[in-house]
Amino acid sequence: MRQFNVLLKKEFLECWRSFKLLWIPLVFISLGVSDPIMNYYMSDILAAVGNVPEGFEMMLPELKPADLLLAATGQFQLVGLIVLIAVFVGTISRERLNGTATLIYVRPISATSVFMSKWVMASIVGMLSALLGYAGSLYYTSFLYGSINFADFIAMILTYFVWILFVMAVTVAMSASFSASIAVAITIFILPIGIILDSIIGSFWHWTPWKLANYGAGIVAGTVDANYYWKTLTITLLLTAIFIAIGIFATNRNRQLTKV
Amino acid sequence: MEELANINWALFAPIIVIQLILQVVALIDLLRIHATNGPKWLWLVIIVVSGLFGSIAYFIVGRRQV
Amino acid sequence: MSLLRVDNLTKNYGSNTVVNNVSFTIEPFTSTALIGPNGAGKTTIMSIITGLLHPTSGKVFIEDYDDIREAIGFLPQYPQFYPWLTALEYVEMVANLSGVAAKEIRSRSMKTLEYVGLGKVIHKKTATFSGGMKQRLGIAQAIVHEPRLLLLDEPVSALDPIGRQEVMDLLKELQQETTILYSTHILHDAEKMTDQVLFLKEGKLVEQGSLIDIQQKYAESKYMIQFASEQSATTFCNSTNRNIERQGVYVYVDVSEQFPSITAIMQHLLALQADIVKVERVIASLDQIFMKVAGTSEAI
Repeated sequence: MRQFNVLLKKEFLECWRSFKLLWIPLVFISLGVSDPIMNYYMSDILAAVGNVPEGFEMMLPELKPADLLLAATGQFQLVGLIVLIAVFVGTISRERLNGTATLIYVRPISATSVFMSKWVMASIVGMLSALLGYAGSLYYTSFLYGSINFADFIAMILTYFVWILFVMAVTVAMSASFSASIAVAITIFILPIGIILDSIIGSFWHWTPWKLANYGAGIVAGTVDANYYWKTLTITLLLTAIFIAIGIFATNRNRQLTKV
Repeated sequence: MEELANINWALFAPIIVIQLILQVVALIDLLRIHATNGPKWLWLVIIVVSGLFGSIAYFIVGRRQV
Repeated sequence: MSLLRVDNLTKNYGSNTVVNNVSFTIEPFTSTALIGPNGAGKTTIMSIITGLLHPTSGKVFIEDYDDIREAIGFLPQYPQFYPWLTALEYVEMVANLSGVAAKEIRSRSMKTLEYVGLGKVIHKKTATFSGGMKQRLGIAQAIVHEPRLLLLDEPVSALDPIGRQEVMDLLKELQQETTILYSTHILHDAEKMTDQVLFLKEGKLVEQGSLIDIQQKYAESKYMIQFASEQSATTFCNSTNRNIERQGVYVYVDVSEQFPSITAIMQHLLALQADIVKVERVIASLDQIFMKVAGTSEAI
């Protein structure tokens, strides 16, 4: 436990001093607040840009508060996810490649504490970013479109936290398993492309991890089926545990790849 | 352009402020870091000109993560 | 009892044998030099001892330890640090990871950094460090937990002559306190601080033993006489019928019928009343020994 704490502190200092704890949350906040504001002023903006036929604004859909949170979720799932993956996909393989891991791996520490410190810190950054992004979205949504049940909002955020834990388990496990370029390709395929594929052909089933974030936003809209939700949540947690196990195994196995 | 005057700029201000902070943080980091992937002056131009996405690109690609 | 025992170590990469059936032991509080040209397998042997690499066959034992990593401190040839940490933060971190008692960590880290000569820059980020400073920090991280065995991979070869001398002095001090195994291809260094030498060529140990034994084994049967003046040297040369090598005031005498031993040489010099500065046995340098045992004509 002591080794884990020491390594977590090291990861925290890395994130703090490289401004990751500042700029990634800022990206999520700007993703979160842009939809409520842009949509609210869409008709004005279109009118200002000009050449909009009379009555066009009537065609804009009437948005409910929950729709804006769903839109924010969509932004996080695409741009936000790619940012998180790009930042953390090299977290273990890079240290092997540049040799910084060598002086850590020759000490009596477990692969578990190495992997867990990386996963926990990446998850903290991801969860903090999502929390602030949703908070920004909520602030503008309730200001411009109407209030949202706070308990539902919290349930949505906690659901998204579970998704982040899964995302970071996949990302860090791939970083432990492969070199950076292969890890990027696999992670991008599993996560963002997985979401897109699931949204295209996923209507045939109701419980894959890729649906979790939308189910979370569905809690606020009141459209989510409790049965599907809990199944999806359970499967996501299960897969998270599996990826953690893969990650620890790969961290240990690939110790020998570190540059001496 | 009169319609734009109707927009409550106090609502937009936070977005602009957030993007400015991101740019400033990226610029501070650029000045302090001893090496980047690619020439520093190029990143300076990218961050200043293309705002949010320039700053993100700098943090992900430009920052040499030794 | 030996501190470290390496038994029949072999490492293959595919059909390529990098380390070939290497065995040796290291006694406590001695220094051992692993000598060989680049690519001879020195770094691979080091990596196997640290536990980073698994050998294809063979085993490494360290007295009293199940996890070898608890007993060692390791300095790679090019140590890499986290540039966002200061020297003190880094050394404290690794001391923690190596299990130094919590309340000793601050004082032990400060003391170690002071010892390697980084006392003035403990709060500087390692990103700003020069090559020599990184090597010192590398030594600090290898010794802060007071390991039983210190493994140093080419500790000075990346440094300029001044830095090299400074680090060599540091290592000679460390020799008093711990057991050292280091690799080098600079034999001049090895001569200064070694008890045991291991000559490695293409993954095989071609010669091993104490430095003194090896020097004797390969000593040339030759003496060097340094005369006080050129004139004395000439007198000496003219007094023998042997083919004698001479360079100014230095004269080299082969052991032969006329001079079967140092005593015979001394007697002859006394009889001549030659004005001499010194007489000594010519000791082969490690360079020359390595060329002999490795059967190559190239110096390493």
